[in-house]
Amino acid sequence: MRPQSLAELRDAVRDTHGTLLVKGAGTAEGWAGAPEPTDHVLETTGLAGVITYNPADMTVAVRAGTPLTALQRELADAGQRISLDPARTRATVGGLVATADSGPLRHSYGGPRDLLIGVTVVLADGTVARSGGHVIKNVAGYDLGKLLCGSFGTLGVIAEVVLRVHPLPPASRTVSIPCDATEAVEHTGRVLEARLEPAALEWCDGELLARYEGVESSVELRAAATPGGTTLSVPDAEAAWRRVAAVHDHDLVVRCGTRPSALPAVAKHATSLASSAAVGVHTLAATDVDRLREEFTQVTVLRHPPAVPAWGEPHAAVPLMRAVKRHFDPDGRLGPGRFRPWF
Amino acid sequence: MSLTDLRDELAARLGRDGIVTDPAHLRTYECDALTGYRVVPGLVALPRDAGEVAVAVAACARYRVPFVARGAGTGLSGGALPVADGVVISLQRLRRVVEVDPVDRRATVEPGVTNLDISRAAAKYGLYYSPDPSSQQVCTIGGNVAENSGGAHCLKYGFTANHILAVDVVLPDGTATRLGGDAPHQAGFDLLGAFVGTEGTLGIVTGVVVRLLHTPATVRTLVANFDSTKDAGDAVTAVIAAGIVPAAIEMMDNLAIQAVNAAVDAGFDPDTAAALIVELDGPADEVEARFADLTRLCAKATGVTIARDAEHRAKIWQGRKAAFAAVGRLSPNYFVQDGVVPRTRLGEALTRIAEMGDEAGIRVANVFHAGDGNLHPLVLYSEERGEHERAEALSTAIAELCVELGGSLSGEHGIGTDKACSMPLMFSEDDLATMRRLRAAFDPEGLCNPGKVFPTPRLCGERPGPYRPHPLESAGVIERL
Repeated sequence: MRPQSLAELRDAVRDTHGTLLVKGAGTAEGWAGAPEPTDHVLETTGLAGVITYNPADMTVAVRAGTPLTALQRELADAGQRISLDPARTRATVGGLVATADSGPLRHSYGGPRDLLIGVTVVLADGTVARSGGHVIKNVAGYDLGKLLCGSFGTLGVIAEVVLRVHPLPPASRTVSIPCDATEAVEHTGRVLEARLEPAALEWCDGELLARYEGVESSVELRAAATPGGTTLSVPDAEAAWRRVAAVHDHDLVVRCGTRPSALPAVAKHATSLASSAAVGVHTLAATDVDRLREEFTQVTVLRHPPAVPAWGEPHAAVPLMRAVKRHFDPDGRLGPGRFRPWF
Repeated sequence: MSLTDLRDELAARLGRDGIVTDPAHLRTYECDALTGYRVVPGLVALPRDAGEVAVAVAACARYRVPFVARGAGTGLSGGALPVADGVVISLQRLRRVVEVDPVDRRATVEPGVTNLDISRAAAKYGLYYSPDPSSQQVCTIGGNVAENSGGAHCLKYGFTANHILAVDVVLPDGTATRLGGDAPHQAGFDLLGAFVGTEGTLGIVTGVVVRLLHTPATVRTLVANFDSTKDAGDAVTAVIAAGIVPAAIEMMDNLAIQAVNAAVDAGFDPDTAAALIVELDGPADEVEARFADLTRLCAKATGVTIARDAEHRAKIWQGRKAAFAAVGRLSPNYFVQDGVVPRTRLGEALTRIAEMGDEAGIRVANVFHAGDGNLHPLVLYSEERGEHERAEALSTAIAELCVELGGSLSGEHGIGTDKACSMPLMFSEDDLATMRRLRAAFDPEGLCNPGKVFPTPRLCGERPGPYRPHPLESAGVIERL
């Protein structure tokens, strides 16, 4: 099924029986537990395009099947962007929300949860519900958008989202500080204490990369003032950030959240690692997921061979996740197999 | 009666000084800062730690007695309004700063710690806690989590939800759990994000881990005066269009300035129609370059004052943050409203508010976070002159106007008791029913702060009313199926 409008999507969910797999661009298909074969596959890519965009309001409403890169192109014409830079360049906006995916810009802007200000979702019974709205500051009602972040299509079908936008920075510079994972923790502290405010601060396989964004004169000065760093040429900077994204290309890719100072402990489990060093969010080509899970709780297996279970021991909040799942999708229609063995 | 049994049990478990039962003392809990709604609770529990909170909640669950969490009672939407014959669980005794970790830049605190005390505890490391609601000297972090509190500086830095790493929660059945983790990556649903801002309806927070930021290298602040709120609004638009993200842009109209000047010597021009406070912060070169742009963009200003030093800046902010209280000097009574409009419709909103005020014969002072369209109209009236109902109606109409203009009923004060009945203007029955599914997952018995956020027949009248188009539909912003 490939609905072309919110009404068609609602009908597709409401008027069918059986299990449903929600699929965007298919870039995270195997993430978070391989989905079981379902009675229907619901593709969201027909729900594409901007709904409303008023640059002066710094918000954009967009259909969930829109690829992020297409949206970014449209925003760039008005000198703006979504401050989200995931490695999956083909992914849809809805898919990025459902997978709570983000890239190095999480250092300053967080992830989809922090940029999402409104959502329209179709529940397993065909109910169409909205939360949030079109304004950045809004505390009216529950924030269902955040609940859907990291839900991997198991709570509802994301149909439309409203996102916060930011101005495109006029200039940027990337600085490289060669260091191992232990030194990276110290360097991170130094960059932050120097109040240089990098937009991204990412350690990747032997170097700490600091990207500065802002006015030309300022990024130049901040790059030069970075302790122990060398400013990279534009092609070298692009190559360095491509290496960060390439960590996702391995066969077993894991994301985990730890205290930032645990970076060296995480690195021990990785053959390749990209880590938002000040935030404590790591993406790694893992050697042994079980060992990683023994040490850390907040572990999500992204890409994985079938033999590796996607989830470990249920953490403290899993009983609540199950309760939420029961209330949103009592018949278990959506995304069976995801989150197995948690539910 | 179950409340009597519950009282005996809590007296035994928490001790005689762990509960409040005498009517005079109970009365001090009858309302929060929305003083128009008052309900004396049946009992107040004063737990000393997370374990005692769990004991109190578990006992309430067993006797099926509703309970309401309360921090400092500074909430402006009646979110901490007690339930008659219910229990108030005060978090005032949980006020320890457990840990400030300068290496991983976070603090672990109990819910009764005030917002400002977190920054005070972090200051020796050059760190601070960013969200800064105007009541930050007294409001508690537990209350901030419940309300997803904002503040003047959330334009650049975000709201409470963006600064909380984890919360320890006692769920409505008395079990304790943790939402969130050591970093903003959660394995599974973002239950932390879903929890923050639910106004105490999903559980009681007993511990909070907050992110701390380094204080910015440079801060520059200016106050620009304008001949009209429209000119001031145009300047805000120009600043945003130039790609500047200020730490804060605040606007005050003349009436608000008069009030502030009577209370604090912050140096605002008493004759100006509107004043903008704009603050930039960050690395020195970035700030200096942008500040030069900023002063240029305030070309229509009739006067610009640049804060000389930290002391001067603090004075300006003291004035701004005192605005609500200061209005008490202009008027014996007032309502503080809180609504949001898309920033580009600020001018229209202000014009309509002025017209509505004139029509009602009631003065409205305006203080607001101009950068994100968050209005705080102050509706000035006199109980003595019998203006209460007219003023209340005007205040509600202003919030509803915000929805009509494509905005929100509340930017930071919450829905609570105050606006629950207006929720159907902003959300359909299906929207609200879906939110209630989340509530049911956490609180199937509906004991945790009942009667808040969602409209109830008892609060709002029996009949839900006929179908009306959603205001966003009428405005062509959204379409129904």
